[in-house]
Amino acid sequence: MSMILTSMIVIPLIGAILALLMGGSREKLAKYVAIAFSAIELVIAVLLTLGMFGSFDSLSESFQWIHTDVFVINYALTVDGLSILMVFLTSLLVLLVNIFSLDEHRENNNYFYALIMAMEVGLIGVYTAADYFLFYIMWEVTLIPMYFMISWYGGPRRHYSAIKFFIYTHVASLVMLIGIFALGYLSVEAGPVDFSFEAVKNGIASAALGAQSLIFALLFFGFMVKMPSVPFHTWLPDAHTEAPTEGSVLLAGVMLKMGSYGIIRICIEALPNAAAYWQWLIIAIALISIIYGAYGCIAQTDLKKMVAFSSISHMGMVMLGIGCLSEAGITFAVFQMFAHGLITAMLFMVCGMTGHKVGTREIPLLGGLAGRMPMYALFMMICFMASLGLPGLVGFWGEFPVIMAFYDFILANNVIWMLLFCMLSLMLTAGYYLWAMQRTLFGPETTKIDLTHAHDVGHFEFAVLAVLSVLVAFFGVWPDAALQFLEPYTSGLIAAMGVI
Amino acid sequence: MVAEIFTSIFGALTPLATMIVLVAGALALPGIQMFGKKHVVSWAFALILTIFALVMDMCLLVDGYTGTYLGVTTTVYTTLMGMLFLIVLFFVVLVSNASTETTRSHAGAYYSLLLGATTGMLFVVSSVDLLTIFVGVELTSISSYALVALKRKDGRASEAAVKYAIIGGLSTALTLYGISMIYGLAGTTTIYELAAYVLTAESFNWAFAIGMVCMIAGYGFKIAAVPFHMWAPDVYEGASAPVSMFLATGSKKMGLAVFIQVFLFMFIMAGTLGTIYGEIAQYTFAILAAITMTLGNVVAIAQNNIKRMLAYSSIAQAGYILIMMAVMTNEAMAAGTFHMFTHVFMKGGAFLIVGALICAGIGEKISDYKGLAKRAPFLAAAMMLFLFSLAGIPPLAGFTSKFFLFASAIGTPGATYDEWVWLAFVAILNSAISLYYYARVVKAMYIEKGSETEKIKVPAVFLFAIVLCLVFVVILGVYPDLIYGYCEMAANTLPHIVG
Repeated sequence: MSMILTSMIVIPLIGAILALLMGGSREKLAKYVAIAFSAIELVIAVLLTLGMFGSFDSLSESFQWIHTDVFVINYALTVDGLSILMVFLTSLLVLLVNIFSLDEHRENNNYFYALIMAMEVGLIGVYTAADYFLFYIMWEVTLIPMYFMISWYGGPRRHYSAIKFFIYTHVASLVMLIGIFALGYLSVEAGPVDFSFEAVKNGIASAALGAQSLIFALLFFGFMVKMPSVPFHTWLPDAHTEAPTEGSVLLAGVMLKMGSYGIIRICIEALPNAAAYWQWLIIAIALISIIYGAYGCIAQTDLKKMVAFSSISHMGMVMLGIGCLSEAGITFAVFQMFAHGLITAMLFMVCGMTGHKVGTREIPLLGGLAGRMPMYALFMMICFMASLGLPGLVGFWGEFPVIMAFYDFILANNVIWMLLFCMLSLMLTAGYYLWAMQRTLFGPETTKIDLTHAHDVGHFEFAVLAVLSVLVAFFGVWPDAALQFLEPYTSGLIAAMGVI
Repeated sequence: MVAEIFTSIFGALTPLATMIVLVAGALALPGIQMFGKKHVVSWAFALILTIFALVMDMCLLVDGYTGTYLGVTTTVYTTLMGMLFLIVLFFVVLVSNASTETTRSHAGAYYSLLLGATTGMLFVVSSVDLLTIFVGVELTSISSYALVALKRKDGRASEAAVKYAIIGGLSTALTLYGISMIYGLAGTTTIYELAAYVLTAESFNWAFAIGMVCMIAGYGFKIAAVPFHMWAPDVYEGASAPVSMFLATGSKKMGLAVFIQVFLFMFIMAGTLGTIYGEIAQYTFAILAAITMTLGNVVAIAQNNIKRMLAYSSIAQAGYILIMMAVMTNEAMAAGTFHMFTHVFMKGGAFLIVGALICAGIGEKISDYKGLAKRAPFLAAAMMLFLFSLAGIPPLAGFTSKFFLFASAIGTPGATYDEWVWLAFVAILNSAISLYYYARVVKAMYIEKGSETEKIKVPAVFLFAIVLCLVFVVILGVYPDLIYGYCEMAANTLPHIVG
């Protein structure tokens, strides 16, 4: 049995421990350790994605872990078309974040890089776990590094934001845990409960619809808070505003995706009937999140907070795609997760740089930055345009096909008026991005703040943003590079739903 | 096997073997103190005896030894719980000589009392009769009052000891009252005969129910279940940290063991869970559990003294463990016993750190822990892991045991329980609340800046004990089978204990 997936969990773990040990005089080495280990991780992820280790099916790993009278818990990892994209995205962003941070010096660098690497352990674990117990453990493992990341390296209100983030997501995951228990117990007639994804999926199908939909609600709540969806979104703007740029990138880029990944992997895969039962609620939550998030963006004066609200809106788009429960809907919802990961990483880097280089992120105080910081302006335009869905960039393939899939749903249910929401959301998105761009970059140079020390993008920052821009364009003109992994997965998923 | 060595030494007395060793030690220690003068001699003697008893107990456990001598019954359950008490005793004795809080001039009496108290606990878990259980509990309690008072020339300790003794006396009275009512109606104090009485009882008798509730209340004092918890924070605050650890992790487990033996044995053994007495006991315990964990956690938030905070957190943990008494299944009992074990390591570890820091001159206030991460990086990291484990953060031991425990309340393979799901919800919500006050300590240690920056040095034995606890907190988190297997075995052999 190949151990390639285990190595993907162990490598960042070793990186985290080594980085942690680089205290005191060796502090400078911590970042190189982190970069080296995340680079190895990315290489493995790319080889994995390109199929160098064989087809996905051959990569499952399973070891007996805890066997009691009541539970059979295995250490089980697997990858398929859905998880491979997330694994790739995670390892890419972690490496880029490590490189991006080189331009800035911090106290206690070793802790900083250890936290990033520890987060990678949890993230890769969540995206590859094939057992509920392991999934839950990894889910919680991501939480603690992020808490410390915000409360050690964050902005002035970091303690408040960190504890709010922690409590919101921890309570949500505890509710999810109850759902997991119930899922396990009802998936068997008697004897020990096998907590592997496969066994639970096969076993739960015969349970009563009422029980299924109740369990779905518990699990969905846990994932929805993580995504986050209105009305449980309020931790996100706070966390983002206070988190350091690197933390925001990982939080928005890959951690929020844990929520939508969980909905597809667990709620939809294991409980398709319940998903159909709650379909209207999912659609409603998605639409509210999209519109509310977009309105929230317009109201913000802090660039980073605006981007945080745009994440709520875009993750709403992911949920809308999932809510369609169709092949196209889920495929492009996942693609939107991937696209949003790339774009939002750029967005947060650019916004973080604004605060760092100009001294403030308040939009009313900014203006005419394009003249003094041309590269900065270029990257901001690229990511804003990508995020608002400009054809040719990756964001377009995330948003437009989801709306197409939603259109099918609208026609099938004869609720044509719902299209208004989609149009509204597109208009608002274009509106807040263009307006923010205009106020920040163009027009006469601002006199409200001192710009004499403002400097353009640093070398490492440039390299990272350039790589991301290339990827945004690459997947924009050739989305099939990512879609080819997804389509077999979603067609299988929809086929299985049809059988049930 | 190794256990044969012990069985050949003790012969038919093997069920009593660990107790014999401890009693011999307890009796010899004052003499050793008189002739040896040096407190380190008493310490070494007590430590060697403890390790001997612990090793013997472990061998009997691994061998699955069962036997009876004069009504003292040894089963897997007995040796398992015995191991728990002896582990606690081992940690307490280990650090006592290095601690500046424990009195050195009375080393003989101190270790003698510790050994005596543990003998009481061992006696409790090998008894099958209400009266012998009562005697064991009293032996432990009376030794504990003296242990608390032994921190002399400290007003808080004297206050705590008096409070403890008075409330302990009240609980004794209640228990005896309950036992006498039960004896009056059933005509027996032996648990399996009581089970037969419950099974054959033709009509419901209020007096019997009241007797049961009196016993629950009486022993409820011992485990500091709300509303019988008032003494615990004062006593833990007043006593020295090793003694607090002994009370929080050892003596409290004895109270829970009594519940297991009296009520779980009585109801599960006779299959009388469905009878009205069974239901009364179950609901009483469910309410007790819910109130205990909620109040413990909520009040812990307001504490500024770390010992008091840990005391309230112990109350909350007792509430979690009481879930097993409400659910009353074999799985719940296995999970509850397992949580008792993980609690020993995580709460014990936290108390050890507090004790070590007191020796190093750090105060007991949470605000005294500011900037600890810089001054004592290892202690701060260990404390963080213990607290996270108490809060139930994976992959630490506290998570795994809570996972089993809460799971046992939610259902069993093939079904979910409608009666007890609410209890699991309450428990899980409480876990979330508890995170807040644990995180407060972590925040003080890691995030806030302290006024002093010099490094802290603590005695090496403390570090050794803390490392041991830490190792078990991590190992039991990722490999629970190490102990959980025995917990299940103990729970499954429950019905065969007697007869």
